[in-house]
Amino acid sequence: MGRSATPYILIFPSFLLAAAVILWPLKEIVSLSVHDVNRFGIMRDFVGLDHFRTLFADPDFIAALWRTLLWTVSVVVGTLVCSVPIAMILNEDFYGRGLARILIMLPWAVSLTMTAVVWRWALNGESGMLNSGLRDLGLIGTNIQWLADASTAFPMQILIGILVSIPFTVTIFLGGLSSVPEDLYDAAAIEGAGAWDRFRTITLPLLRPFINIAFVLNTIYVFNSFPIIWTMTQGGPANSTDILVTYLYKLGFRLGRLGDAAAVSLIMFGILIVFTIVYVRLAMREEQD
Amino acid sequence: MRRLGLLAGASMLAFCSMAQAGTVRVTIAEYSKGTGPYFDAAAKEFEASHPGTKIQIEVVPWDNLQQKLTTDISAGANADLSIIGTRWLLDYVSQNVVTPLDAYVKPDFKARFIDTFLKPSIMNGKVYGLPIAASARAMYYNKDVFKKAGIDTPPKTWTEFKADADKIKSSGSPVFPFGLQGKEIETDVYFYYGLWANGGDIIKDGKSGMDSPAAIETAKLYKSFIDGGLTEPGVTSYSREDVQNLFKQGKVATVITAPFLLNQIKAEVPNLAYGVAPIPVGDGGDGGTYGVTDSIVMFDNSKVKDEAWAFLDFLFTTEQRTKFDKVEGFLPVNAKEAADPYFADNADLKVFTSLLPKAHFAPVIPGWEDIAQTTSNAVQKIYLGQGPIEGTLKEAAAKINTTLSQK
Repeated sequence: MGRSATPYILIFPSFLLAAAVILWPLKEIVSLSVHDVNRFGIMRDFVGLDHFRTLFADPDFIAALWRTLLWTVSVVVGTLVCSVPIAMILNEDFYGRGLARILIMLPWAVSLTMTAVVWRWALNGESGMLNSGLRDLGLIGTNIQWLADASTAFPMQILIGILVSIPFTVTIFLGGLSSVPEDLYDAAAIEGAGAWDRFRTITLPLLRPFINIAFVLNTIYVFNSFPIIWTMTQGGPANSTDILVTYLYKLGFRLGRLGDAAAVSLIMFGILIVFTIVYVRLAMREEQD
Repeated sequence: MRRLGLLAGASMLAFCSMAQAGTVRVTIAEYSKGTGPYFDAAAKEFEASHPGTKIQIEVVPWDNLQQKLTTDISAGANADLSIIGTRWLLDYVSQNVVTPLDAYVKPDFKARFIDTFLKPSIMNGKVYGLPIAASARAMYYNKDVFKKAGIDTPPKTWTEFKADADKIKSSGSPVFPFGLQGKEIETDVYFYYGLWANGGDIIKDGKSGMDSPAAIETAKLYKSFIDGGLTEPGVTSYSREDVQNLFKQGKVATVITAPFLLNQIKAEVPNLAYGVAPIPVGDGGDGGTYGVTDSIVMFDNSKVKDEAWAFLDFLFTTEQRTKFDKVEGFLPVNAKEAADPYFADNADLKVFTSLLPKAHFAPVIPGWEDIAQTTSNAVQKIYLGQGPIEGTLKEAAAKINTTLSQK
């Protein structure tokens, strides 16, 4: 009896700590979202679901919601598609592999904000590096104003999002690849399997759990990622590149609508929780089959 | 264990410094690289003459100031004094966060100020803040570009301006005639210059002026600049700093902005042949500049109000004001300071001060940031050619009217 209680006693303090750190802010956000809140976070009347109603009546919020989904799916899928081949190349034994690995990992060490600032300069219409590069190559005649319009700004932001997510994802995949036994490939080669077949029947299935982890972690991370979009366009022009988290920041700190902002963050929290549970369940069921 | 001791020590220290009655904490917005050093020096000088009082300066970048204050105030951990945008002041006053200074502001203190700049900080007849920074806007123009296009004087009206812009363009100059801002802070303000020139106003009789004929006229005017290739392309990707940079690089011939560009030009491109002129007016002679003040306020929960006031009194002496405004390139708010040869004999600054009698300030209304955002969004849509001008402006006006009726 005493023995079976030990783990619970041991786990209790950390559980308490986790509860304090996770549940207390959550409780605060919930109560902010159902009260009339002033600019300085002082709560007044209970207003029920008013903040949520305001949000769903706001076309900018709806647009930001859809854009967030587009942003997350594009960046996450793009990152996974790019990272698998990169990880496979880096897993090969070649001269200078160590250096190549370091080069791929380096961007990870640079802060996202700084990366975004540099890209903001590079994409500047009149003095940006990208335009002058393209002009020198004869690809464009007149400067492209990358950040002037969502139709060019947002795809660029997605591209940068993919670029900065690659190092982390490649790291996960490299770990996965190193656990694939070499003799499987040898056996497949003897059986006459081509490179594509080996990839499809050995690499991909064995990499599956790692892809799942990378997928879930990247989704959570990208969904909540603020610096790229904020630094480059602040969600503009006219809210056309806003995702939920930049929209939330504007509501909270610029417009002083903390109640609405709390409601947005709850909605984001809900979406992520539902997504994660559904995905993890699906992935686990597949693994068991 | 050692770490625990250290922690305990640190918290004791924190406790002691809080308990010391003579410490005045001041949150300062960072205007430039010179801001921090100026305030540190001022604090030292003040401490030397006021033994027992300690001034603790915290410098915060402008972009983060509102966020920092919001979190500090909601946690009850705010400083004793802080710089805020005067346009935020109403929110602070209505939430009883800041304290009126009337008990301290004696007539001779009040007499130090140029009235135009003190006025925006007065609400319900009480002084809630002191204008720590003041500026106005005027038009900078590139003399070389104008001369090459055969133009001798800067344009006085928008009609002249449009004609000059056409001349510059048809002279084959690669310089874009009008540096138009279309991104981030003050995008709405850039639109107001035309609005005021056309006899319009931001708010008229409690209603938005964004659907007025003047606003429609202005939108058409600016759009004709854009469509005619008279502005830099892609205006919605240029923030205030971006258009100022274009001007410094000689890529646009004109830009409307604040006096602090003078300091930047002096430091970065001293050979640029530029002039400063009033913002063009309408054909009916309407127009004016945008006046901006930032206020320094005292928080209601301050425990060292007298000491904090003594520091304010010191900051607003003519000598301190002159030092600060020279560093930052702001306009004098102190009448005696304005007589200082540095300001009085500076032809460029004179243009700014001459515009002050017709300065428009951001209206003192609740939800102003919300309204400015709506305006910016509408203006950006028009610049991008997304949707018809009148419809977009009507929609914005309706949204602003809802905001206005909410409080």
